[in-house]
Amino acid sequence: MDCPNAAASRGIISVKGLHKSYGGNAVLKGIDLDVKEGEVVSVIGPSGSGKSTLARCLCRLEGIDSGTVSLCGVEISSGSHGNGDIARMVGLIFQQFNLYPHISVRDNITLSPVRILGMSRGEANELASSLLARVGMSDKADARPRQLSGGQQQRVAIARALAMRPAIMLFDEPTSALDPELVGEVLDVMEQLADSGMTMLVITHEMSFAKDVSDRVIFMDDGVIVEQSPPAILFSNPQRARTRQFLQRLLPRPDGGSRTRTGDDIDGL
Amino acid sequence: MGFDFSLVTPRLGFFWAGTLVTIETSALSLLFGSILGVFIGVLRVAPVRPLRSLAACYIYVIRGTPTLTQLFFIYFGLPALGINLTAMASGIIGLSLNSAGYIGEIVRGGIEGVPVGQWEAARVLGLSYPGAMRFIVLPQALRAMLPAIGNEFVTLIKESSLLSTLAIAELTMAGQQVRSVTYASFETFIIVGAIYLLLTTLTSMALRQLEKRWDVL
Ligand SMILES: Nc1ncnc2c1ncn2[C@@H]1O[C@H](COP(=O)(O)OP(=O)(O)O)[C@@H](O)[C@H]1O
Ligand SMILES: [Mg+2]
Repeated sequence: MDCPNAAASRGIISVKGLHKSYGGNAVLKGIDLDVKEGEVVSVIGPSGSGKSTLARCLCRLEGIDSGTVSLCGVEISSGSHGNGDIARMVGLIFQQFNLYPHISVRDNITLSPVRILGMSRGEANELASSLLARVGMSDKADARPRQLSGGQQQRVAIARALAMRPAIMLFDEPTSALDPELVGEVLDVMEQLADSGMTMLVITHEMSFAKDVSDRVIFMDDGVIVEQSPPAILFSNPQRARTRQFLQRLLPRPDGGSRTRTGDDIDGL
Repeated sequence: MGFDFSLVTPRLGFFWAGTLVTIETSALSLLFGSILGVFIGVLRVAPVRPLRSLAACYIYVIRGTPTLTQLFFIYFGLPALGINLTAMASGIIGLSLNSAGYIGEIVRGGIEGVPVGQWEAARVLGLSYPGAMRFIVLPQALRAMLPAIGNEFVTLIKESSLLSTLAIAELTMAGQQVRSVTYASFETFIIVGAIYLLLTTLTSMALRQLEKRWDVL
Protein backbone atom coordinates (compact mmCIF):
# COMPACT_ATOMS: atom_id res chain seq x y z
CA MET A 1 0.00 0.00 0.00
CA ASP A 2 1.15 3.53 -0.45
CA CYS A 3 0.76 5.94 2.36
CA PRO A 4 -1.12 8.99 1.13
CA ASN A 5 -1.03 10.70 4.49
CA ALA A 6 2.55 9.86 5.36
CA ALA A 7 4.01 12.96 3.75
CA ALA A 8 1.74 15.20 5.76
CA SER A 9 2.64 13.54 9.03
CA ARG A 10 6.00 13.49 10.73
CA GLY A 11 6.84 10.07 9.42
CA ILE A 12 5.40 6.87 8.09
CA ILE A 13 5.88 5.59 11.63
CA SER A 14 5.25 8.12 14.34
CA VAL A 15 5.30 7.12 17.99
CA LYS A 16 4.78 9.60 20.80
CA GLY A 17 5.12 9.00 24.51
CA LEU A 18 4.52 5.27 24.23
CA HIS A 19 4.21 3.55 27.59
CA LYS A 20 3.52 -0.13 28.05
CA SER A 21 3.66 -2.34 31.08
CA TYR A 22 2.75 -5.92 31.89
CA GLY A 23 1.13 -6.06 35.27
CA GLY A 24 3.27 -3.73 37.33
CA ASN A 25 6.32 -4.27 35.12
CA ALA A 26 6.99 -1.19 32.97
CA VAL A 27 8.49 -2.42 29.72
CA LEU A 28 8.32 0.67 27.50
CA LYS A 29 8.86 3.90 29.39
CA GLY A 30 8.08 6.70 26.99
CA ILE A 31 9.17 5.91 23.44
CA ASP A 32 9.25 8.68 20.83
CA LEU A 33 10.10 7.52 17.35
CA ASP A 34 9.67 8.83 13.84
CA VAL A 35 10.63 6.83 10.79
CA LYS A 36 10.59 8.37 7.33
CA GLU A 37 9.23 6.62 4.29
CA GLY A 38 11.91 4.37 2.81
CA GLU A 39 14.09 4.58 5.88
CA VAL A 40 15.73 1.44 7.26
CA VAL A 41 16.12 1.52 11.03
CA SER A 42 17.92 -1.12 13.06
CA VAL A 43 17.09 -1.57 16.71
CA ILE A 44 19.72 -3.08 18.96
CA GLY A 45 19.88 -3.53 22.70
CA PRO A 46 20.16 -6.12 25.41
CA SER A 47 17.58 -8.84 25.90
CA GLY A 48 14.59 -7.64 27.90
CA SER A 49 15.04 -4.01 26.90
CA GLY A 50 11.61 -3.92 25.25
CA LYS A 51 12.53 -4.24 21.57
CA SER A 52 9.99 -6.97 20.79
CA THR A 53 7.32 -5.19 22.77
CA LEU A 54 7.92 -2.05 20.72
CA ALA A 55 7.58 -3.97 17.45
CA ARG A 56 4.41 -5.64 18.71
CA CYS A 57 2.91 -2.30 19.71
CA LEU A 58 3.73 -0.96 16.24
CA CYS A 59 1.51 -3.57 14.60
CA ARG A 60 -1.07 -3.58 17.42
CA LEU A 61 -0.28 -7.12 18.47
CA GLU A 62 -0.10 -5.48 21.90
CA GLY A 63 -2.27 -2.68 23.15
CA ILE A 64 -0.56 0.32 24.69
CA ASP A 65 -1.10 2.05 28.02
CA SER A 66 -0.51 5.63 26.93
CA GLY A 67 0.89 7.63 24.06
CA THR A 68 0.09 7.27 20.38
CA VAL A 69 1.24 5.07 17.54
CA SER A 70 0.57 6.34 14.03
CA LEU A 71 1.32 4.56 10.80
CA CYS A 72 0.95 6.33 7.48
CA GLY A 73 -0.52 9.26 9.38
CA VAL A 74 -3.27 7.09 10.84
CA GLU A 75 -3.43 6.61 14.58
CA ILE A 76 -3.72 2.85 15.04
CA SER A 77 -3.69 2.94 18.81
CA SER A 78 -7.19 4.41 18.86
CA GLY A 79 -8.58 0.93 18.29
CA SER A 80 -11.07 1.72 15.54
CA HIS A 81 -9.22 -0.24 12.87
CA GLY A 82 -9.73 -3.85 11.94
CA ASN A 83 -6.85 -6.27 11.74
CA GLY A 84 -7.10 -6.06 7.96
CA ASP A 85 -6.55 -2.29 8.01
CA ILE A 86 -3.43 -2.68 10.12
CA ALA A 87 -2.10 -5.51 7.96
CA ARG A 88 -2.32 -3.32 4.88
CA MET A 89 0.00 -0.84 6.58
CA VAL A 90 2.49 -3.00 8.40
CA GLY A 91 3.91 -6.51 8.27
CA LEU A 92 5.79 -8.31 11.05
CA ILE A 93 8.41 -11.00 10.66
CA PHE A 94 8.79 -13.25 13.70
CA GLN A 95 11.90 -14.87 15.04
CA GLN A 96 10.12 -18.25 14.84
CA PHE A 97 8.69 -17.65 11.31
CA ASN A 98 5.20 -18.82 12.35
CA LEU A 99 4.29 -20.13 8.91
CA TYR A 100 0.99 -22.00 8.80
CA PRO A 101 2.10 -25.65 8.91
CA HIS A 102 -1.09 -27.21 7.57
CA ILE A 103 -1.11 -25.56 4.15
CA SER A 104 1.35 -25.19 1.29
CA VAL A 105 3.83 -22.38 0.90
CA ARG A 106 1.65 -20.93 -1.85
CA ASP A 107 -1.46 -21.02 0.33
CA ASN A 108 0.46 -19.44 3.19
CA ILE A 109 1.04 -16.48 0.90
CA THR A 110 -2.36 -16.28 -0.78
CA LEU A 111 -4.60 -16.76 2.26
CA SER A 112 -4.71 -13.14 3.40
CA PRO A 113 -4.78 -11.59 -0.08
CA VAL A 114 -7.79 -13.77 -0.89
CA ARG A 115 -9.58 -13.49 2.44
CA ILE A 116 -8.70 -9.93 3.40
CA LEU A 117 -7.88 -8.08 0.20
CA GLY A 118 -10.57 -9.92 -1.77
CA MET A 119 -8.16 -10.95 -4.51
CA SER A 120 -9.23 -13.70 -6.90
CA ARG A 121 -7.41 -16.98 -6.47
CA GLY A 122 -5.74 -16.63 -9.86
CA GLU A 123 -4.50 -13.15 -9.07
CA ALA A 124 -3.27 -14.26 -5.65
CA ASN A 125 -1.43 -17.24 -7.12
CA GLU A 126 0.33 -14.95 -9.56
CA LEU A 127 1.25 -12.64 -6.73
CA ALA A 128 2.59 -15.62 -4.76
CA SER A 129 4.69 -16.72 -7.72
CA SER A 130 6.27 -13.33 -8.16
CA LEU A 131 6.93 -12.94 -4.43
CA LEU A 132 8.43 -16.42 -4.20
CA ALA A 133 10.70 -15.56 -7.12
CA ARG A 134 11.70 -12.41 -5.29
CA VAL A 135 12.82 -14.36 -2.22
CA GLY A 136 14.37 -17.14 -4.31
CA MET A 137 11.81 -19.81 -3.39
CA SER A 138 10.02 -20.38 -6.69
CA ASP A 139 10.58 -24.12 -6.63
CA LYS A 140 8.94 -24.59 -3.22
CA ALA A 141 5.44 -23.26 -3.84
CA ASP A 142 3.84 -26.66 -3.25
CA ALA A 143 6.01 -27.65 -0.28
CA ARG A 144 4.76 -27.67 3.29
CA PRO A 145 6.64 -25.36 5.66
CA ARG A 146 8.15 -28.19 7.66
CA GLN A 147 9.87 -29.50 4.55
CA LEU A 148 11.89 -26.29 4.40
CA SER A 149 15.00 -25.19 6.24
CA GLY A 150 14.71 -22.34 8.72
CA GLY A 151 16.22 -19.89 6.27
CA GLN A 152 13.76 -20.94 3.59
CA GLN A 153 10.85 -20.68 6.02
CA GLN A 154 11.85 -17.17 6.98
CA ARG A 155 12.10 -16.15 3.33
CA VAL A 156 8.61 -17.52 2.74
CA ALA A 157 7.42 -15.61 5.81
CA ILE A 158 8.80 -12.43 4.25
CA ALA A 159 7.00 -13.20 0.98
CA ARG A 160 3.80 -13.87 2.93
CA ALA A 161 4.01 -10.54 4.71
CA LEU A 162 4.75 -8.68 1.47
CA ALA A 163 1.65 -10.20 -0.12
CA MET A 164 -0.47 -7.77 1.91
CA ARG A 165 1.50 -4.96 0.25
CA PRO A 166 2.33 -3.25 3.52
CA ALA A 167 4.06 0.14 3.53
CA ILE A 168 6.17 -0.86 6.52
CA MET A 169 7.95 -4.08 7.44
CA LEU A 170 8.96 -4.90 11.00
CA PHE A 171 11.47 -7.65 11.72
CA ASP A 172 11.87 -9.09 15.22
CA GLU A 173 15.22 -10.86 15.26
CA PRO A 174 14.50 -12.55 11.95
CA THR A 175 17.72 -14.57 11.93
CA SER A 176 18.12 -15.41 15.62
CA ALA A 177 16.49 -18.84 15.31
CA LEU A 178 18.58 -19.84 12.30
CA ASP A 179 21.63 -22.01 12.01
CA PRO A 180 24.59 -19.74 11.27
CA GLU A 181 24.96 -20.92 7.69
CA LEU A 182 21.36 -19.94 6.90
CA VAL A 183 21.54 -16.37 8.20
CA GLY A 184 23.06 -14.93 5.04
CA GLU A 185 20.25 -15.91 2.69
CA VAL A 186 17.66 -14.16 4.87
CA LEU A 187 19.80 -11.04 5.31
CA ASP A 188 20.27 -10.91 1.54
CA VAL A 189 16.51 -10.87 1.00
CA MET A 190 16.14 -8.15 3.63
CA GLU A 191 18.87 -6.10 2.00
CA GLN A 192 17.12 -6.37 -1.38
CA LEU A 193 13.92 -5.25 0.27
CA ALA A 194 15.72 -2.27 1.79
CA ASP A 195 17.18 -1.39 -1.61
CA SER A 196 13.70 -1.50 -3.12
CA GLY A 197 12.69 1.38 -0.87
CA MET A 198 10.68 -0.47 1.79
CA THR A 199 10.39 1.26 5.13
CA MET A 200 11.90 -1.19 7.60
CA LEU A 201 12.40 -1.44 11.34
CA VAL A 202 14.70 -4.34 12.11
CA ILE A 203 15.42 -5.65 15.58
CA THR A 204 18.66 -7.50 15.16
CA HIS A 205 21.82 -8.85 16.65
CA GLU A 206 23.38 -8.90 13.20
CA MET A 207 25.70 -5.95 13.51
CA SER A 208 26.71 -6.34 9.87
CA PHE A 209 23.14 -5.63 8.81
CA ALA A 210 22.83 -2.72 11.21
CA LYS A 211 26.05 -1.23 9.91
CA ASP A 212 25.83 -1.86 6.22
CA VAL A 213 22.14 -1.71 5.41
CA SER A 214 20.40 0.59 7.86
CA ASP A 215 20.18 4.34 7.66
CA ARG A 216 19.85 4.68 11.39
CA VAL A 217 20.58 2.54 14.42
CA ILE A 218 18.59 2.80 17.62
CA PHE A 219 20.01 1.52 20.87
CA MET A 220 17.34 0.57 23.39
CA ASP A 221 17.87 -0.28 27.01
CA ASP A 222 15.45 -0.71 29.87
CA GLY A 223 12.40 0.47 27.95
CA VAL A 224 13.82 3.67 26.53
CA ILE A 225 15.66 4.73 23.40
CA VAL A 226 19.08 5.56 24.78
CA GLU A 227 20.72 6.75 21.63
CA GLN A 228 20.14 6.82 17.89
CA SER A 229 22.27 7.87 14.96
CA PRO A 230 23.50 6.72 11.57
CA PRO A 231 25.43 3.48 11.97
CA ALA A 232 28.79 5.03 11.12
CA ILE A 233 28.41 7.36 14.07
CA LEU A 234 26.72 5.04 16.54
CA PHE A 235 29.22 2.23 16.13
CA SER A 236 32.37 4.34 15.98
CA ASN A 237 31.46 7.12 18.34
CA PRO A 238 28.65 6.22 20.74
CA GLN A 239 27.72 9.14 22.97
CA ARG A 240 26.30 7.28 25.94
CA ALA A 241 28.14 5.05 28.34
CA ARG A 242 25.44 2.38 28.18
CA THR A 243 25.72 2.19 24.41
CA ARG A 244 29.50 1.92 24.60
CA GLN A 245 29.21 -0.83 27.17
CA PHE A 246 26.77 -2.81 25.05
CA LEU A 247 28.85 -2.43 21.91
CA GLN A 248 32.07 -3.36 23.66
CA ARG A 249 30.56 -6.65 24.74
CA LEU A 250 29.41 -7.29 21.19
CA LEU A 251 32.28 -6.08 19.12
CA PRO A 252 35.84 -6.48 20.22
CA ARG A 253 36.81 -3.86 17.64
CA PRO A 254 33.97 -1.35 17.26
CA ASP A 255 35.35 -0.16 13.92
CA GLY A 256 35.99 -3.69 12.70
CA GLY A 257 35.18 -5.05 9.26
CA SER A 258 31.73 -5.45 7.85
CA ARG A 259 29.69 -8.65 7.53
CA THR A 260 31.00 -9.99 10.79
CA ARG A 261 28.26 -12.01 12.29
CA THR A 262 28.04 -11.73 15.99
CA GLY A 263 24.67 -13.24 16.66
CA ASP A 264 26.01 -16.47 18.12
CA ASP A 265 28.20 -14.78 20.65
CA ILE A 266 25.54 -12.74 22.30
CA ASP A 267 22.65 -15.15 22.60
CA GLY A 268 22.66 -14.85 26.34
CA LEU A 269 22.41 -11.11 26.44
CA MET B 1 -21.12 -78.53 27.00
CA GLY B 2 -21.41 -77.95 23.31
CA PHE B 3 -22.00 -74.74 21.49
CA ASP B 4 -24.36 -74.88 18.63
CA PHE B 5 -24.20 -72.01 16.20
CA SER B 6 -26.67 -73.77 13.93
CA LEU B 7 -29.43 -72.46 16.17
CA VAL B 8 -28.55 -68.86 15.45
CA THR B 9 -27.35 -69.02 11.86
CA PRO B 10 -30.90 -69.10 10.44
CA ARG B 11 -31.42 -65.80 12.27
CA LEU B 12 -28.45 -64.01 10.68
CA GLY B 13 -30.92 -61.65 9.02
CA PHE B 14 -31.70 -60.21 12.47
CA PHE B 15 -28.06 -59.51 13.11
CA TRP B 16 -27.70 -57.92 9.71
CA ALA B 17 -30.70 -55.66 10.22
CA GLY B 18 -29.47 -54.76 13.71
CA THR B 19 -26.04 -53.99 12.39
CA LEU B 20 -27.47 -51.63 9.80
CA VAL B 21 -29.43 -49.78 12.48
CA THR B 22 -26.33 -49.56 14.66
CA ILE B 23 -24.32 -48.17 11.76
CA GLU B 24 -27.05 -45.73 10.88
CA THR B 25 -27.58 -44.39 14.39
CA SER B 26 -23.86 -44.26 15.14
CA ALA B 27 -23.00 -42.53 11.88
CA LEU B 28 -25.70 -39.90 12.30
CA SER B 29 -24.77 -39.32 15.93
CA LEU B 30 -21.10 -39.05 14.96
CA LEU B 31 -21.94 -36.54 12.29
CA PHE B 32 -24.21 -34.34 14.41
CA GLY B 33 -22.08 -34.85 17.50
CA SER B 34 -18.94 -33.78 15.64
CA ILE B 35 -20.50 -30.66 14.18
CA LEU B 36 -22.02 -29.64 17.49
CA GLY B 37 -18.84 -30.68 19.31
CA VAL B 38 -16.63 -28.42 17.21
CA PHE B 39 -19.09 -25.62 17.86
CA ILE B 40 -19.04 -26.29 21.62
CA GLY B 41 -15.23 -26.48 21.60
CA VAL B 42 -14.93 -23.16 19.80
CA LEU B 43 -17.37 -21.55 22.24
CA ARG B 44 -15.41 -23.08 25.10
CA VAL B 45 -12.39 -20.88 24.26
CA ALA B 46 -14.33 -17.87 22.97
CA PRO B 47 -13.01 -14.46 23.99
CA VAL B 48 -16.48 -13.74 25.42
CA ARG B 49 -16.92 -15.04 28.94
CA PRO B 50 -20.67 -15.86 28.90
CA LEU B 51 -20.17 -18.03 25.82
CA ARG B 52 -17.24 -19.78 27.47
CA SER B 53 -19.25 -20.43 30.61
CA LEU B 54 -22.20 -21.74 28.64
CA ALA B 55 -20.02 -24.26 26.81
CA ALA B 56 -18.22 -25.23 30.02
CA CYS B 57 -21.57 -25.82 31.68
CA TYR B 58 -22.75 -28.02 28.83
CA ILE B 59 -19.61 -30.14 28.92
CA TYR B 60 -19.86 -30.39 32.70
CA VAL B 61 -23.40 -31.73 32.62
CA ILE B 62 -22.84 -34.15 29.75
CA ARG B 63 -19.68 -35.59 31.24
CA GLY B 64 -21.08 -35.72 34.73
CA THR B 65 -24.24 -37.72 34.00
CA PRO B 66 -24.71 -41.23 32.58
CA THR B 67 -25.45 -41.54 28.89
CA LEU B 68 -28.37 -43.79 29.75
CA THR B 69 -29.88 -41.12 31.98
CA GLN B 70 -29.52 -38.59 29.18
CA LEU B 71 -31.32 -40.92 26.76
CA PHE B 72 -34.12 -41.60 29.26
CA PHE B 73 -34.46 -37.90 29.93
CA ILE B 74 -34.97 -37.16 26.26
CA TYR B 75 -37.29 -40.07 25.53
CA PHE B 76 -39.27 -40.33 28.76
CA GLY B 77 -38.69 -36.91 30.31
CA LEU B 78 -39.19 -34.44 27.49
CA PRO B 79 -42.82 -35.41 26.78
CA ALA B 80 -43.57 -33.64 30.06
CA LEU B 81 -42.63 -30.44 28.20
CA GLY B 82 -44.76 -31.44 25.26
CA ILE B 83 -41.78 -32.66 23.25
CA ASN B 84 -42.63 -36.11 21.97
CA LEU B 85 -39.87 -37.76 19.98
CA THR B 86 -39.78 -41.21 18.48
CA ALA B 87 -37.38 -43.65 20.06
CA MET B 88 -35.12 -43.37 17.05
CA ALA B 89 -35.06 -39.56 17.12
CA SER B 90 -34.52 -39.57 20.89
CA GLY B 91 -31.67 -42.01 20.51
CA ILE B 92 -29.86 -40.14 17.78
CA ILE B 93 -30.36 -36.76 19.43
CA GLY B 94 -29.26 -38.16 22.79
CA LEU B 95 -26.10 -39.74 21.45
CA SER B 96 -25.31 -36.65 19.39
CA LEU B 97 -25.68 -34.31 22.35
CA ASN B 98 -23.66 -36.72 24.45
CA SER B 99 -20.75 -37.07 22.04
CA ALA B 100 -20.81 -33.31 21.40
CA GLY B 101 -19.89 -32.80 25.04
CA TYR B 102 -16.91 -35.10 24.85
CA ILE B 103 -15.82 -33.90 21.41
CA GLY B 104 -16.22 -30.30 22.60
CA GLU B 105 -13.71 -30.96 25.34
CA ILE B 106 -11.34 -32.61 22.86
CA VAL B 107 -11.69 -29.62 20.51
CA ARG B 108 -10.97 -27.20 23.35
CA GLY B 109 -7.75 -29.07 24.08
CA GLY B 110 -6.83 -29.11 20.40
CA ILE B 111 -7.36 -25.39 20.01
CA GLU B 112 -5.36 -24.61 23.13
CA GLY B 113 -2.55 -26.79 21.80
CA VAL B 114 -2.02 -24.62 18.72
CA PRO B 115 0.98 -22.36 19.39
CA VAL B 116 0.14 -18.74 20.14
CA GLY B 117 2.47 -17.74 17.30
CA GLN B 118 -0.14 -19.05 14.86
CA TRP B 119 -2.77 -16.68 16.27
CA GLU B 120 -0.29 -13.83 16.13
CA ALA B 121 0.76 -14.55 12.55
CA ALA B 122 -2.87 -14.75 11.46
CA ARG B 123 -3.63 -11.49 13.22
CA VAL B 124 -0.75 -9.47 11.79
CA LEU B 125 -1.72 -10.83 8.40
CA GLY B 126 -5.10 -9.22 8.84
CA LEU B 127 -7.37 -12.05 9.95
CA SER B 128 -10.05 -11.38 12.53
CA TYR B 129 -10.53 -13.75 15.48
CA PRO B 130 -13.17 -15.83 13.67
CA GLY B 131 -11.05 -15.86 10.52
CA ALA B 132 -7.95 -16.99 12.38
CA MET B 133 -10.00 -19.67 14.14
CA ARG B 134 -11.55 -20.95 10.95
CA PHE B 135 -8.62 -20.89 8.55
CA ILE B 136 -5.57 -21.26 10.76
CA VAL B 137 -6.21 -22.60 14.26
CA LEU B 138 -9.12 -25.00 13.92
CA PRO B 139 -7.69 -26.92 10.94
CA GLN B 140 -4.47 -27.48 12.85
CA ALA B 141 -6.34 -28.38 16.03
CA LEU B 142 -8.52 -30.92 14.23
CA ARG B 143 -5.48 -32.68 12.79
CA ALA B 144 -3.90 -32.90 16.21
CA MET B 145 -7.16 -34.15 17.72
CA LEU B 146 -7.80 -36.98 15.29
CA PRO B 147 -6.59 -39.77 17.59
CA ALA B 148 -8.75 -38.54 20.46
CA ILE B 149 -11.71 -38.07 18.15
CA GLY B 150 -11.18 -41.61 16.88
CA ASN B 151 -11.45 -42.90 20.44
CA GLU B 152 -14.64 -40.95 20.90
CA PHE B 153 -16.08 -42.44 17.71
CA VAL B 154 -15.32 -45.94 19.00
CA THR B 155 -16.90 -45.10 22.34
CA LEU B 156 -19.97 -43.82 20.62
CA ILE B 157 -20.41 -46.97 18.54
CA LYS B 158 -20.28 -49.00 21.75
CA GLU B 159 -22.64 -46.67 23.59
CA SER B 160 -25.16 -46.98 20.77
CA SER B 161 -25.96 -50.37 22.37
CA LEU B 162 -27.79 -48.33 25.03
CA LEU B 163 -30.42 -47.60 22.41
CA SER B 164 -31.69 -51.14 22.96
CA THR B 165 -33.22 -49.80 26.17
CA LEU B 166 -35.42 -47.55 24.02
CA ALA B 167 -36.51 -50.66 22.07
CA ILE B 168 -34.62 -49.55 19.00
CA ALA B 169 -33.82 -52.59 16.89
CA GLU B 170 -30.09 -52.05 16.79
CA LEU B 171 -27.50 -54.77 17.12
CA THR B 172 -27.78 -55.46 20.85
CA MET B 173 -31.56 -55.47 20.61
CA ALA B 174 -31.32 -57.90 17.70
CA GLY B 175 -29.20 -60.11 19.93
CA GLN B 176 -31.88 -60.01 22.60
CA GLN B 177 -34.48 -61.03 20.06
CA VAL B 178 -32.42 -63.92 18.73
CA ARG B 179 -31.62 -65.07 22.26
CA SER B 180 -35.24 -65.02 23.33
CA VAL B 181 -36.29 -67.35 20.55
CA THR B 182 -33.23 -69.62 20.39
CA TYR B 183 -32.02 -69.52 24.01
CA ALA B 184 -28.52 -69.72 22.52
CA SER B 185 -27.29 -66.79 24.61
CA PHE B 186 -23.61 -67.57 24.40
CA GLU B 187 -23.52 -67.97 20.64
CA THR B 188 -25.73 -64.95 20.10
CA PHE B 189 -23.64 -62.54 22.07
CA ILE B 190 -20.38 -63.90 20.69
CA ILE B 191 -21.70 -62.89 17.30
CA VAL B 192 -22.97 -59.51 18.55
CA GLY B 193 -19.60 -58.83 20.19
CA ALA B 194 -17.71 -59.83 17.06
CA ILE B 195 -19.77 -57.46 14.94
CA TYR B 196 -19.13 -54.55 17.36
CA LEU B 197 -15.44 -55.39 17.28
CA LEU B 198 -15.50 -55.33 13.51
CA LEU B 199 -17.26 -51.96 13.44
CA THR B 200 -14.93 -50.35 15.96
CA THR B 201 -11.87 -51.81 14.26
CA LEU B 202 -12.94 -50.54 10.85
CA THR B 203 -13.64 -47.10 12.32
CA SER B 204 -10.24 -46.97 13.99
CA MET B 205 -8.53 -48.07 10.80
CA ALA B 206 -10.34 -45.47 8.72
CA LEU B 207 -9.33 -42.74 11.15
CA ARG B 208 -5.75 -43.91 11.20
CA GLN B 209 -5.70 -43.70 7.41
CA LEU B 210 -7.00 -40.16 7.64
CA GLU B 211 -4.36 -39.33 10.23
CA LYS B 212 -1.65 -40.58 7.90
CA ARG B 213 -3.00 -38.60 5.01
CA TRP B 214 -3.16 -35.44 7.07
CA ASP B 215 0.18 -36.00 8.65
CA VAL B 216 2.05 -34.57 5.69
CA LEU B 217 1.99 -31.21 7.43
N1 LIG C 1 3.38 -11.03 27.43
C1 LIG C 1 4.18 -10.61 28.42
N2 LIG C 1 3.78 -10.68 29.70
C2 LIG C 1 4.57 -10.25 30.71
N3 LIG C 1 5.78 -9.73 30.55
C3 LIG C 1 6.25 -9.62 29.29
C4 LIG C 1 5.49 -10.06 28.17
N4 LIG C 1 6.21 -9.83 27.05
C5 LIG C 1 7.36 -9.28 27.46
N5 LIG C 1 7.41 -9.15 28.80
C6 LIG C 1 8.50 -8.58 29.57
O1 LIG C 1 8.84 -7.35 29.00
C7 LIG C 1 10.23 -7.15 29.02
C8 LIG C 1 10.73 -6.79 27.65
O2 LIG C 1 10.51 -7.89 26.80
P1 LIG C 1 10.82 -7.81 25.26
O3 LIG C 1 10.06 -6.70 24.65
O4 LIG C 1 10.57 -9.17 24.73
O5 LIG C 1 12.37 -7.48 25.23
P2 LIG C 1 13.44 -7.75 24.10
O6 LIG C 1 12.74 -8.07 22.84
O7 LIG C 1 14.24 -6.49 24.03
O8 LIG C 1 14.29 -8.87 24.57
C9 LIG C 1 10.85 -8.40 29.58
O9 LIG C 1 11.16 -8.18 30.92
C10 LIG C 1 9.75 -9.42 29.46
O10 LIG C 1 9.83 -10.34 30.52
MG1 LIG D 1 12.82 -9.84 21.69
